[in-house]
Amino acid sequence: MKLRSRFSKKGDLIFISHLDVVRLFERAMRRGKIPISYTQGFNPHPIMAFATALGVGVESEAEYIDIQVDEKIETDEFISRLNAVMPGGLKILMSQYIDSSEDSLMAILRRSIYLVKINLEKTFDEEAIKEKINHFLTLEEIIEVKEKKKKKGKGFRRDKNKVQETNIRPLIHDLSLFSMNGQELILKMNLTTGSSGNLKPEVLVRKLAEETDLPIILDTVRINRLELLKEKDGQYVTLIEG
Amino acid sequence: MSKLDIHDLLYKVEKPARYLGNELNSVHKSIDETTVRFAFCFPDIYEIGMSHLGMQILYHLLNKEENVFCERVFAPAIDMEKIMRENNLPLFGLESRESIRHFDFVGFTLQYELSYTNILNMLDLAGTPLFSKERGEDDPFVIVGGPCAYNPEPIADFCDIVVLGEAEEVMVEIVKAYKEMKANTYSRRSFLEKIASIQGVYVPAFYDVTYLEDGTIEAITPNNQHAPKKLKKRIIQNLDEVFYPEEILVPYLNIVHDRVMLEVFRGCARGCRFCQAGMIYRPVREKGVERLKNLTEKLLASTGYEEISLASLSTSDYSNLDSIVRHLIDEYEKDKVGVSLPSLRLDNFTFELIQEIQKVRKTGLTFAPEAGTQRLRDVINKGLTEEDLRNAVEKAFSLGWNSVKLYFMIGLPTETYDDLDGIRDLAFMVADIYYETVEKGQRGKGLNVTASASTFVPKPFTPFQWHPQDSLEEIYSKQRHLVEKLKRRNVTFNYHDAKTSFLEGVFARGDRRLSKVLAEALKAGCKFDGWHEHFDFQRWMDVFGQAGVDPSFYANRQREYEEVLPWDHIDVGVTKKFLMKENEKAKAGVLTQDCRTNCSGCGINTGFVGGIC
Repeated sequence: MKLRSRFSKKGDLIFISHLDVVRLFERAMRRGKIPISYTQGFNPHPIMAFATALGVGVESEAEYIDIQVDEKIETDEFISRLNAVMPGGLKILMSQYIDSSEDSLMAILRRSIYLVKINLEKTFDEEAIKEKINHFLTLEEIIEVKEKKKKKGKGFRRDKNKVQETNIRPLIHDLSLFSMNGQELILKMNLTTGSSGNLKPEVLVRKLAEETDLPIILDTVRINRLELLKEKDGQYVTLIEG
Repeated sequence: MSKLDIHDLLYKVEKPARYLGNELNSVHKSIDETTVRFAFCFPDIYEIGMSHLGMQILYHLLNKEENVFCERVFAPAIDMEKIMRENNLPLFGLESRESIRHFDFVGFTLQYELSYTNILNMLDLAGTPLFSKERGEDDPFVIVGGPCAYNPEPIADFCDIVVLGEAEEVMVEIVKAYKEMKANTYSRRSFLEKIASIQGVYVPAFYDVTYLEDGTIEAITPNNQHAPKKLKKRIIQNLDEVFYPEEILVPYLNIVHDRVMLEVFRGCARGCRFCQAGMIYRPVREKGVERLKNLTEKLLASTGYEEISLASLSTSDYSNLDSIVRHLIDEYEKDKVGVSLPSLRLDNFTFELIQEIQKVRKTGLTFAPEAGTQRLRDVINKGLTEEDLRNAVEKAFSLGWNSVKLYFMIGLPTETYDDLDGIRDLAFMVADIYYETVEKGQRGKGLNVTASASTFVPKPFTPFQWHPQDSLEEIYSKQRHLVEKLKRRNVTFNYHDAKTSFLEGVFARGDRRLSKVLAEALKAGCKFDGWHEHFDFQRWMDVFGQAGVDPSFYANRQREYEEVLPWDHIDVGVTKKFLMKENEKAKAGVLTQDCRTNCSGCGINTGFVGGIC
């Protein structure tokens, strides 16, 4: 039996890594006496899977996890037992049983919605900002150059740093000015996430600063993930419906 | 005191979860002006410090006291320190995020000599005066304890209070005395005088050290009527009754020892002559199986950990090992809780038990013959034979292991190149046994034998405390010899950096004159000396030069029995006479029996425990 749950990650807990979250869930399952299933073999692991990793320092309203259990536990009971042993900052918001034949969270994930707070070095009026964003969105190509680290090991490839160029424009589905207060802006964005491509909001913000002349202070960018979406009948909907 | 705002800084550092302070089972208390504030500092990064069982015990022990708030402090990693210094952010307690500058106590645990510069760097970051004599009424007491505190002399000038021995009782006595005096008439000096008579408390400022012309010590004399002439360590009589936490801190990060650590006994009956822990932690005292079962249940429930480790100096010597391990497996296998047994000795290695453990989780296989020949193993009193190793690995290979690690030391007293060749012989013998035992078709991934050699460092309170440490040149040449000799397929040879062992040797047997070296080293930027990437040997040599101190005086000099040693005013229970006798037996290659078989008369049962241990 598989339970699909949505949880939030806030406060100081935004500073723990994805691997830390995995460990934290494993231990919380034991403390909360959740009848989670384990893999077979010498090194048994609890059977659980996340939709996607969340970067360190990113807040989220909508993370998802699938947990396989050996015996049925009421979802309300599951939520309250788990939340009782979770640290403040991580909270299960909803859970539902899914058919074990359903695709994994990772397989169905398509998009993320973010709110991103940025600070500008000087004030601009709202129209000017919107115009710059619109200009950015009219670009057909926005190339992100990623230098892949040297391959460790033997062979001629070792000496070459591979450079990968990606056009990130097709990964941006929406970008708008959500609100502003002086030099502080909040952008809302809808970006491709998951196995079919992945665009991190901080990369978009950096490209926005490069492609327009918006003087964004890059080391104070603060990101909040609002939702993760899958595709259903041509529509984008949240990973747990209902 | 106000709470420091570190939120924005956390975005800029690697592994910000090191600095959050709100881990599972962390303690947060409301603070008023009567709260006794204690900063428990570990002079290394979070992942190392959080793995330390002593911190877990003392943290929860102190926080159990009413109106005492103990917080944790670790050495900030290099990137965090840089940001803290740039932003004038002082060292803070993780739980309260308040500067420790005006805490009542700032405690450091002395786990290894190479962390001394980190202690100084942390005091500097905290804004606390470095030297004890510079501290005034509003400054915290710098209090230290742990294994290196048995010879605290190299850092004695920086410390106000040294705790000798097991701290569970004496720490509470110190803090209670402080609370009491604070409520009545109090001065820094009167408090130190009051606690100076508590067994296990050493106030270095109450002792003067004088030197002879040849640089050795003339005498160590008390200069205060409250200070005893001889300082006795403190021990806990009953391990079933002593405090042990039922909740331990569970980090977010993956730390070095990320599991429940259950202490099964203290002390070690083996009497290996190189081993300081085996001497200073005497006598052997066990926790009972019922107590262990009870603690396990509570600790696993409060942490959710997936692994439990039975901790001690030599876990296979625990008298009820079989029964506790079987209990752990029977009771917790369903929750997939693994059991790990560090410090196993191969002469009483119980493979049946290991196989039981294997049912749940796979553990590695490590043996520590320490020396390559029987002659040298007799010198160090490692009562273990080639036959023992042969039998153990034969059994291991036939049960499906194919990876074995062998630990050795080089530079042991009386060592010759024949002994080094013995290391090769043992490693190759293990490899041969594999091919004899395991059929060709069964070999799977193939054999992997790793032999590693660390450099022997003579330590205080051991029979080898008078011995010179091998010079760097001697060690290098021995290492090269082994590299040449140990070339064989499927055998890997590692050796440790001899330079760090040399520095460890200097501070292990050092005296108070090394404090100026440490102060210079801090200025020169030495820190994290135990970390290969931060250790700069040349810088250290320059520092010794500037301070006018010859490090080889401490590391490489033969000491005479008559010499006054820097730690002679400290009594760990094991007598100097016994250590001399053991040293002579070592030279003659005569073994001393396990103290459970035959009391060797070390002295611990006269004055520390009555009658038999």
